[in-house]
Amino acid sequence: MSKSIFEIVDKLPTGGLTVMSLKSLDFVIPGQWTNPVGFENTIKLITGETDEALIQQIGDRAVHLYNDKSQGYQRAMWLYETVDSASSALGAAALAGKIGEDVSFLGFLSNLTPKPEKSQSIDLCIKLVVELVAFCQINGIPGDSIGDFVASLADYSGESLMRMAALVCFDGLIPLGPDFALKGLNTLRGLNPSDLGNNPVFKSVSSLIPGGNTDGQLNFITKSFDATTGWMNGFVSDRGLTPEKVVDNLASFVEISKDKLEYLGAFLDVSTNYYYHTGVQTLARRLIERAFAEI
Amino acid sequence: MNTPRWQRAIAPLLLVLFLIIGGCAATQTSRFDQAQQESTQSQATPAVSKAATDGSKFNKFFPNSGDGFSRVYTQEKDGFANAKLEKDGKTLALMSINDTISNPAAAAKFQQSTKSIGGFPAVNQGNTATAVLVADRYQAKVTSKVPEFTVSDRETWLGKFDLAGLARVK
Repeated sequence: MSKSIFEIVDKLPTGGLTVMSLKSLDFVIPGQWTNPVGFENTIKLITGETDEALIQQIGDRAVHLYNDKSQGYQRAMWLYETVDSASSALGAAALAGKIGEDVSFLGFLSNLTPKPEKSQSIDLCIKLVVELVAFCQINGIPGDSIGDFVASLADYSGESLMRMAALVCFDGLIPLGPDFALKGLNTLRGLNPSDLGNNPVFKSVSSLIPGGNTDGQLNFITKSFDATTGWMNGFVSDRGLTPEKVVDNLASFVEISKDKLEYLGAFLDVSTNYYYHTGVQTLARRLIERAFAEI
Repeated sequence: MNTPRWQRAIAPLLLVLFLIIGGCAATQTSRFDQAQQESTQSQATPAVSKAATDGSKFNKFFPNSGDGFSRVYTQEKDGFANAKLEKDGKTLALMSINDTISNPAAAAKFQQSTKSIGGFPAVNQGNTATAVLVADRYQAKVTSKVPEFTVSDRETWLGKFDLAGLARVK
């Protein structure tokens, strides 16, 4: 049996590398992310209600909605979880040996292998498309509505905006540099469907990517990524973001070495799960809003 | 010293008992466990009825943008549609319509209604929500997201829904 939504939200951590790295991005979107954790606590935060009987009703309805598989929430959860664990799977074996020790960047450096630029670019593009598909599953918009998704990016806030900020900074700027969006797009345009089919991150989530076959899916991913590059470039230029600024801020929260950028991307990949963490928070928010509206 | 025979016999029984008690204590309980069990058993009733009206049919009954207020649609699911009410980029309230065919308890609470909006029974819920029930089936609700958006604001905005139109949805 799959885990209950309250158990999942209750288990989100309040500290650790994922939370600290996300906190380091507060300078990008000041005050937007407060790391809401705990199911009851999240209900209270989102609704502003304190009456225990009402909170019970809201929570009960949210649990029922989450467990109705036709409503898409479990598919969205699976996507956030899978894309995060697949992208870090390559380094996870090395990390496993470190369980019980303090995982620090320098202590872990010898176990890290930076990904080639091509697979790093593919990871970035697939994570973005996963955001699109999960957004449609959660909000009930048809799964190939690229236009609706791009329009709603302008309206992103809170946990969702933090996830996009982390995508731009940790999967874009740090490993690929300031022109990460262009690199991503060029990689996709030069890609064979079979290259895509062999990418572990794509393989893990391909069953939910629209397009019919790998050829069609590559086309869908390229179109989606192309449609969002304007938003990503605007996000970077509006805030004057550079890899150096991101790394400087990260260094004040997490012990890292600033001269090993190519390893830093790999380190974040294996030691954090920000997509899952903020994905659960986004899903919980939408679910609770709906539950409160429906009771 | 020899242990009496009855003590030797009871020891395994006590051990089993402790294990059972320990096992129960180790299982975490949550106030939402019952909902989890009900909704995951093999014959569970789905949270959303197959007969629920599609959320896309509700959109046209929401209040329109205007006078500096923007209506931004956010969710459109089976039996449910949701929009934000914004002013100057700030979310003031959430506005929703849902089909109570999936959740009859939501309709039942209007039996205690003491006021009406647009000729339909209305209730306040908690500190932040006000709702009306249309055609004994569709619930329109406005929920405040900032303290400045008061009960009377919620009632005003519920009055701006096309409630009569919603009542005709089959």
